[in-house]
Amino acid sequence: MIAFMLLGALALVGAVITITARNAVHAALGLVGTLLSVAGLFASLSASFLAAIQVIVYAGAILVLFLFVIMLLNANQPITGRDPVPFVRELAGIGGVILAGALAIIAFSYRDPRPLAEGAGALRGGTAVAVGETLLTRFLLPFEAVSILLLVAIVGSVALVKRPVPQPDGLTDAEGVALPTESPERTAPEGGVRA
Amino acid sequence: MPDWLAALLITLLKGVLVALALLTTFAYMTLIERRLLARMQIRHGPNRVGPGGLLQPLADAVKSIFKEDLRVTMADKLVYTMAPIVAIGMALTAFGGIPAGPPGSLFGEDPWVYNLDAGILALLALTSMGVYGIFLGGWASGSKYPILGGLRSSAQMISYELGMGLSILGLLMLVGSTAFVNIVEWQAQSGWMLLFQSLGFALFLVSSFAEVNRTPFDLPEAEQELVAGYLTEYSAIKWALFQMAEYVNMITASAIMATLFFGGYRGPVFLEGLIPGISGWPIIWLVVKIAFFLFLFIWVRATLPRFRYDQLMRFGWKLLLPLALANTMMTAAYLAFARGLGLWPLALLSLLGLLALFAMSDRVRVLWNRPTGRPHTDDALPTRPLGGD
Repeated sequence: MIAFMLLGALALVGAVITITARNAVHAALGLVGTLLSVAGLFASLSASFLAAIQVIVYAGAILVLFLFVIMLLNANQPITGRDPVPFVRELAGIGGVILAGALAIIAFSYRDPRPLAEGAGALRGGTAVAVGETLLTRFLLPFEAVSILLLVAIVGSVALVKRPVPQPDGLTDAEGVALPTESPERTAPEGGVRA
Repeated sequence: MPDWLAALLITLLKGVLVALALLTTFAYMTLIERRLLARMQIRHGPNRVGPGGLLQPLADAVKSIFKEDLRVTMADKLVYTMAPIVAIGMALTAFGGIPAGPPGSLFGEDPWVYNLDAGILALLALTSMGVYGIFLGGWASGSKYPILGGLRSSAQMISYELGMGLSILGLLMLVGSTAFVNIVEWQAQSGWMLLFQSLGFALFLVSSFAEVNRTPFDLPEAEQELVAGYLTEYSAIKWALFQMAEYVNMITASAIMATLFFGGYRGPVFLEGLIPGISGWPIIWLVVKIAFFLFLFIWVRATLPRFRYDQLMRFGWKLLLPLALANTMMTAAYLAFARGLGLWPLALLSLLGLLALFAMSDRVRVLWNRPTGRPHTDDALPTRPLGGD
């Protein structure tokens, strides 16, 4: 209970830092704090698999990418001057209210995929059996849909990053694409690092 | 004294002991590394302070503590100070989850500091947080070379984390649990995991080198290109903390490899005939195996040159990741269709995969295949640069 209060407070502090910090890197670090506190909450509820995944995926990968982009684009300058979009605060307020409403509906209409006690029992001992079983039986379709969604996102980002290949004379575009004339590193995600 | 207080105190004591042991090991690792490197390069190395240079770490420690702590004008003060602390904190925390003996074998206590059910997953999570130390240190220094080093390190560590996580999936499927104790006991029953997952081990070893930023993956601090990368603006004790984090990460990586693939805290069973119960002794076997891997780290440092950045990325994404996936698929197929045959077909398949890798590597291929230069005709297929992966 003490751990829960402490971690909950930490998560809130991190969230407040995230939206109030002037410096984008500090905001991202606040978000890291929130995510880690949520992972701690999971761990204190003895859902250690979920906690580990939370840290690996969110704090360890996604936020690092966030920071990477912030530093690469040098977007960590403090925001000054007027907002380029008028009414942005009002719009954000409306969006926030809608989001809170949606979360409330989810929270009150939530039904466990399995009884909570059974699920917690199955998660003990470090196995991910319960998670895997539920994902691949009951939620198979959404699970696969998400993987297709991710694949589409990856293909889309590669297509966006790809620069037009200068074609040698006498080759049509179609032939040029078929030949791997461009060095593959160009399109790989690390292409921007050396820039 | 109530029970929970006693348990808390014992856990605290174990934590402090582990931290002290790790830091002492770090201090002497620097000496051992310098002496071994010197030996491999046919020179003497530090041998003046104390007998055989044994007091050198002490002198280094005194120096780095009393050296002036430089303040960098352009630095982001808070993050600049926190970065080394995050790095060393995560490194020390990660090690505490590794079991050094069977449950209850350390004077009736469990020989680990904490035991999360998620085991190896939790450890991977903690080590993946270590990137923040390097990354933020590079950014907070407020100068060009450190930020380049920080960017490099984050790209590198994210890339190789994938290969690392995927390469142990086969192992986890075989054992059916992520807890370290279960993995070690499975190996005590069936033999070292190295036998059945040799390909997975090779991939894990390479990714571990990349994760702890050791040669040939030490691009974040490539001194010829980046001065010292993320370390450039750090001095005195903060610099020493980063060094500590690197070595503690090395020790943790060694311990993970020993635990996952080399039977962990269990010693060889044939010694049981001489001294009964010796294979169950806590700590000693793990230390022996860690020492072996630490030597390997130093040996590789003395042997291999650093990767170029494009080689690093190509290696990680185009070789390591697909191979780790293939290894996972192979193990999954085996578990689904050929479980009744025993474990040896899997061992054979893994070994074949590893041998094929060796045979296809650039070091071996040139023995029968003359290296080709880049052809001058425009429409030729691009060839890879010579050397490298």
